[in-house]
Amino acid sequence: MTDHPPGGEPSELVELARRAATAYDRPDLEKRLGVVSRAVADDRARVLVVGEFKAGKTELVNAVIGGRALPTDAHRATTVPTMCAHGEQPAVVLVRGVEGGVEQQQISPTDLAEHVTERGNPDNRAGWSHAEATLPRPVLEGLRLVDTPGAGGLASPSAVSTMAELPGADAVLVVADGGRELTAPELALTRTAAAVSPTVAVVLTRIDLHPHWRRIADIDRGHLDRAGGERSDGTGGSSLRAVRIFPTSSALALHAAEDDDLPPDTARELAAESGIEEVRRLLVREVAEGRQARRIRMVADEVIVACEQFATAFRAERDALADPQRAQRIAAEVERSRAQAASLRDRAARWQQTLNDGVGDLVSDIEYDLRDRLRAVVADAEVALDDTDPAKTWEQFAPWLHQQVSAGVSTNVVWAEERTRWLAERVATHFAEDGAGVLPPVTVAASPDGTGLAADPVSMLAAPDHEKFGVSQSLMIGMRGSYGGVLMIGMLTTIAGMALLNPFSIGAGLLLGSKTLVDERKRALRRRQAEAKQAVRRHVDDVTFQAGKNSRDMLREVQRTLRDHFTTTAEELERSLAATADAARAVEADDAKRTARLADVEAELERVEHLADRARRLRGRAGSGSSRSSRLVGA
Amino acid sequence: MTAPDPSGLVGAARHVVDGALRLYGTGPADPATSWARSVLHDARARLDEPLRVALAGTLKAGKSTLLNALVGERIAATDAGECTRLVTWYRDAPSAAVVREDVDGRRATVPFARDGEGLRIDLGGIGDPGRVGRLLVDWPSRGLAQATLVDTPGLDSIRETNSRRTLSFVTPDDRPSGADAVVYLMRHAHRNDVGFLEAFADLAQGGAGGLGAVGASGTVVVLSRADEVGGGGLDAVTTAGQVAQSYREDPALRSLCQTVVAVDGLLAETARTLRQSEFTALRALARAPRAEVDALLLSADRFTVAEPPAVVAEALASDPDGVRLDEPARRALMERFGVFGIRSATTVLRRGARTGRGVVDSPSLAEELVRRSGLEELREALVSRVLGRRDVHQARSALLAVDLVLGRAPRPDAGPVAAELERLLSGAHAFTEQRLLAALRQGQVTMPEGTAAEAERLLGGDGPGAAERLGLAPGSAEVRAAALEALDRWRVRAESPLTSRAAAEVARAVVRSCEGVLGGYGS
Repeated sequence: MTDHPPGGEPSELVELARRAATAYDRPDLEKRLGVVSRAVADDRARVLVVGEFKAGKTELVNAVIGGRALPTDAHRATTVPTMCAHGEQPAVVLVRGVEGGVEQQQISPTDLAEHVTERGNPDNRAGWSHAEATLPRPVLEGLRLVDTPGAGGLASPSAVSTMAELPGADAVLVVADGGRELTAPELALTRTAAAVSPTVAVVLTRIDLHPHWRRIADIDRGHLDRAGGERSDGTGGSSLRAVRIFPTSSALALHAAEDDDLPPDTARELAAESGIEEVRRLLVREVAEGRQARRIRMVADEVIVACEQFATAFRAERDALADPQRAQRIAAEVERSRAQAASLRDRAARWQQTLNDGVGDLVSDIEYDLRDRLRAVVADAEVALDDTDPAKTWEQFAPWLHQQVSAGVSTNVVWAEERTRWLAERVATHFAEDGAGVLPPVTVAASPDGTGLAADPVSMLAAPDHEKFGVSQSLMIGMRGSYGGVLMIGMLTTIAGMALLNPFSIGAGLLLGSKTLVDERKRALRRRQAEAKQAVRRHVDDVTFQAGKNSRDMLREVQRTLRDHFTTTAEELERSLAATADAARAVEADDAKRTARLADVEAELERVEHLADRARRLRGRAGSGSSRSSRLVGA
Repeated sequence: MTAPDPSGLVGAARHVVDGALRLYGTGPADPATSWARSVLHDARARLDEPLRVALAGTLKAGKSTLLNALVGERIAATDAGECTRLVTWYRDAPSAAVVREDVDGRRATVPFARDGEGLRIDLGGIGDPGRVGRLLVDWPSRGLAQATLVDTPGLDSIRETNSRRTLSFVTPDDRPSGADAVVYLMRHAHRNDVGFLEAFADLAQGGAGGLGAVGASGTVVVLSRADEVGGGGLDAVTTAGQVAQSYREDPALRSLCQTVVAVDGLLAETARTLRQSEFTALRALARAPRAEVDALLLSADRFTVAEPPAVVAEALASDPDGVRLDEPARRALMERFGVFGIRSATTVLRRGARTGRGVVDSPSLAEELVRRSGLEELREALVSRVLGRRDVHQARSALLAVDLVLGRAPRPDAGPVAAELERLLSGAHAFTEQRLLAALRQGQVTMPEGTAAEAERLLGGDGPGAAERLGLAPGSAEVRAAALEALDRWRVRAESPLTSRAAAEVARAVVRSCEGVLGGYGS
């Protein structure tokens, strides 16, 4: 669909538009286009590979990239998320958050198992937030493939980091064993993924070992189709019908890729049977190119918007030059529009209200939701502590509490993300609706063919990329840095301080002894239970504080980003209209000069419109993702 | 049947239950009393029945398959999808019958048929399967003589009612557990598995705090589907054995079960029910050119395709036994053995044909495959840890029932029964051993590392037999000498003023265990 190299036509168009902006003395537009061109440069889709532990996630990643680049083991599981990206030289960098920044450590790719699996790094004691592997594999171009530690292993509370990774992913592959139908936890994971990511697929593994994988796939299809509509944890709800199932065998794919003695025909057959090709196609054709197409549409929109802004001024000037009597009237009308554009910048503008009120409401809603979830955990914990002797059960209790708290926090984060996205879209809608009347009617009326700005007036006002997950996703990615999750993982390490929480320093003597000491033991037991409950409450308070602060910070950041984005857009608009008014007023009295200027203006206009046309064609080739404009015009 | 009762515990427990029955047999028939009566009657009846062993685990862990392997017959139906949806009891009986018991307690005999895949049970026109409480299958089989096996629906199922049935059988709210012992199957030690094991262990704690986590002593964990570990290569079960070993040493699992063993349930089931036709089919396959057969076995799909490569087809066509390995036959083989099973079987058959020794006929193939499946280790563990301690497990179930009744339906005149219960729970050495074992495994007693491990072993942590306790080979002649030596050492430790109180209690118990070994040895 899109054969352009990353620096192809989109970059060229942005460059042309930037030069035009400089030539027409519009540094504001030039700056904005500069941001766009940088955003297009890093155009890789983030794909998460998630699932229960020991489901074959790492093996799947290896099969997709066509070689055993990541360490796999029959017993030891992955403990550190590993991001695979394309690069000329194989290299691995380990990353962890430290006080006031991040620490990076370069290691040899052959030592990876020592750092990212239970073999060398059980429980991820080294505290790495993730590893970044650069591999010379063409399939990785345009992708960042993240292999995550499985949910539910004995050693690590990884389910939480998996959940925290989900928002902002372009695609999520839920990996499940092809030998049995989806379990309740796997279905729940799929549902959460579908709520926050545009592309979700279930990948069944090890079909080489399971003769009945077709039936399992059918049964799973049924589970997914029926799963829509249930909304048990408040994070799902949309149907899972769109979630496709990919039966695969990593073993066959790797066998085909790595056994050089195989006849080419056999290798091809094995590769086809492995089903890995379909997964690759999904990632490359739909996910990576889908993302690229979205980006191209975004670039095209930006260029079109810039061109329209240039053209507006030229058209006004042309109309004024052609009919000097109308010049003043045109200028006055444009001036009115300018005042309207200026009011968009007002703090009292509707979109600003929506944004400020929305963020305020969200802060309190999200905090209430978090408190509510954690309160339930505390209540459960207290009941549990009432029934047992904490000194005996703490070892098992602490991880349980940890997991419950973490689950509560991550569900809250996912929910917050959804609500935030919804808010961002509402703000964009209000901005676009209020701005819809701004465009100077005169220019439209005066265009000879009546097309003028009518092409897509709203795109001028709209946010950069309005498709599902568009606006908020680009905002989020901006905040997360090159790799998602760092934000969350920083918080999770504070939760992990849990291990130090054991309030008991009781000699073993108290725990044994015969029943004659019942009274004394009962008193001691009650004291231990009280101490344990207090420890639980203290811990949950700490977590609530930290998580609450994180979500507030996140929302403030969103608020700032949205406000800056739309304020800048309003300013640009205002500036364009001011230039237009000036151009209309400055009509030369001298006929000869006027005719010469008219020819110049028409030539410039033609150039600008040619650029806009190219951008529109590029957009058309990148598919019609956005039905938003028409909806807004109709509204 | 008369149960062996070496410790006299069953007799003592029967006495306590009888006392409680006399107590609750009189007085008003209010709901609490009739509930107490029914719990006690059940407890009393259980003491005279074989041990009840439940097979539990997550979805598709292979519970029914393993049940068939243990019995040596295909009676529990198995399927690719979720199959067992009701708690089903399989017990030895003179003749076969299936009884459906509804949740309201009513029973009805239902028709059934048996095919190659197990029993097909007709629920008998009950509209709502939710009303069925359990199925009772009477089946004459030597494999069920020692223990009644209870097959349960998978935990973690998307169909939550199925999971609930299992939980309310193993850990009911208002009764003692339906099982005396649990064989817990899992694919890997998942956090949820640990959660279920904790629930099982906890229940046994059931108020009688003195008993500690006795439930762990009746739990054997099976790493099932060992054939799928590491891609189903020939060393899969060996690798799984290493995984099981590491789980045995894992602190999270150690305190929740007796031991962890790896089993390929499918291979075990098939090997124990091997047919002559399957043997000849596998032999024909082993005679065909190896490279082509290996290529065919790269995946289940390849093996079951309509047309195998010409070379294989030729070799099969010219097989001296005239075996026709057509598509349905290959499908059937795959169904019964799995990829790993066929790989293993052809490998041992090839070796047998080459050397003329070892696996050359159907019985020796069955024996070798059973050995490779890991079933023998599981049976040994079951016999030494669970069936061999039948007295302890049954007495515990009965005493917990009495404890529950005394706690929930208290009576002012319960004093003597409560005292006898208390005396038995805290006085019986078998229970002391279990309690201290649990304490040691949970790290509640501080002892030097080697010492703690020896204490665990002498208390029966590796098995209750004399040789196991002393770390000697079975049947060793040195048992008596070693026991005397250990007795002396631990007596010193028990009496040393430097030993902490808790450690001294352990040491005293170890001394008693040593005395028990010597006593048993003398007799």
